[in-house]
Amino acid sequence: MPPPRKIGRDPGLTARMTLTLFLLGALYVVLIVALLAAGVGAVFVALIAGGLLLAQLFTSDKLALHAMGAREVSPQEAPELHAMVERLCVQADLPKPRVAVAQTAMPNAFALGRSPKSATVCATTGIMELLSPAELEGVMAHELSHVQNRDVLVMTIASFFATVAAYIVQFGFFFGGGDGDDDNAGFLVLLLVSLAVYALSFFLLQALSRYREFSADRGAGVITGRPSALSSALMKIAGTMDRIPERDMRAASELSAFYIFPPKVKSVLGSLFSTHPPLEKRIEKLSQLESQLQGRLTQA
Amino acid sequence: MGFLDVLRGRRDLKKPAPDRLFAMTTAYVTLEMSLSLKTTGRAAIVFQQLDTADFARLAREMQELIAATTQEAGTTVEARDDEFGYRWMVLVDPDFDDLVTGLSAIGGELELGGYGDRILAAVFPFEDAEKRHVYWIYNYKRGAFYPFVPASGDKQRDNTRELRLKAQMEGELPIEPELERWFPLWGAPV
Repeated sequence: MPPPRKIGRDPGLTARMTLTLFLLGALYVVLIVALLAAGVGAVFVALIAGGLLLAQLFTSDKLALHAMGAREVSPQEAPELHAMVERLCVQADLPKPRVAVAQTAMPNAFALGRSPKSATVCATTGIMELLSPAELEGVMAHELSHVQNRDVLVMTIASFFATVAAYIVQFGFFFGGGDGDDDNAGFLVLLLVSLAVYALSFFLLQALSRYREFSADRGAGVITGRPSALSSALMKIAGTMDRIPERDMRAASELSAFYIFPPKVKSVLGSLFSTHPPLEKRIEKLSQLESQLQGRLTQA
Repeated sequence: MGFLDVLRGRRDLKKPAPDRLFAMTTAYVTLEMSLSLKTTGRAAIVFQQLDTADFARLAREMQELIAATTQEAGTTVEARDDEFGYRWMVLVDPDFDDLVTGLSAIGGELELGGYGDRILAAVFPFEDAEKRHVYWIYNYKRGAFYPFVPASGDKQRDNTRELRLKAQMEGELPIEPELERWFPLWGAPV
């Protein structure tokens, strides 16, 4: 009786994510074409874009840790957290990331770093007090899944051209296109294209972020084998997120993609604007995974 | 993990690497003769416990089976749970070969039951001439060994000695090349 070797996949999720990535890519091609058509040198565009992208990839994690008031901790300072992360790393077959703790009552956790080797996982003191060990394990496994999926890298690259478009839009509004006559029309078109790219990519990026969140939830459930523990952690965090005021949330908004929970849980303007899927959806997916796990015997 | 898997955010647990546990049997000769590291007569395998009905049944059956088969060799088995919810199967036997065989049998049972991807590691504790503990840890996912030597002081490791052990045993054991994966196991119940 060889039992099924794989916990069922979610092909629908994969398909939606692939489609989003494709649309985003197509959109950026439009932007590049518009840039070139507006007479900006191709080499110049490539150089500036590449430089900015590298700078963002190599500096953003340190900036983010600093913005969160987080500090890397040694195994002596946080033995339980280190031991927990180490065991999850063996299970997930990851090298050990740096472990950091942020001194804030807000229960949250996040992952940083462009590759598994340079990754940092961070938990707040709030989340460590709030959750039971099994729940915290689920949350840390969620963050390690982000590391394993290279979500920081994927989202930085995916959102990069959206950032470029946003700069062009801002630049256009400030300088009103300059004083050349010929250039003016070209610049106006570029401005409009950039505006459209920016607006559309915003929604696509939010959708992509939500899919990556589902993936990380799923990954956490597979790594720990206890999807229900993550569900209960999410519910606990959601419960306190509403009550505790948003005190120390000065971090840039793109960072919010890697929180276990978004810092702002607003009465939503439509789920389109949200980087994280709604709680009920996440819990529903996790409980599906739990039934798949429990049902391994009957499937065989 | 491939590039597409990264893009699609796929996730499967890595299966155990081909079993190289038995490399320890031959390596023990060198450990004992050249490095005067002696077995403490114990060894353990650690795996993740799942809260599913068939896992509980499998664990129970496995324990009975192992107890029955290892009794002939004079090995005793006990199960311990640590504070992180992992299950340790601790084998006690003065004969080192029997310890390795016993651990391999447990690993085989778990794999047969379809839970091979839940096994973390096998742990072999040794004692040097000064009665200090030296551990060799076998990572099932990687199919490689690495040394773990606790130093005096809270959660301190004797990295110098670990690296020396690596150099001394490189020819005999498959050793984990990435130092970031030399995960310690503090408070191992062996």
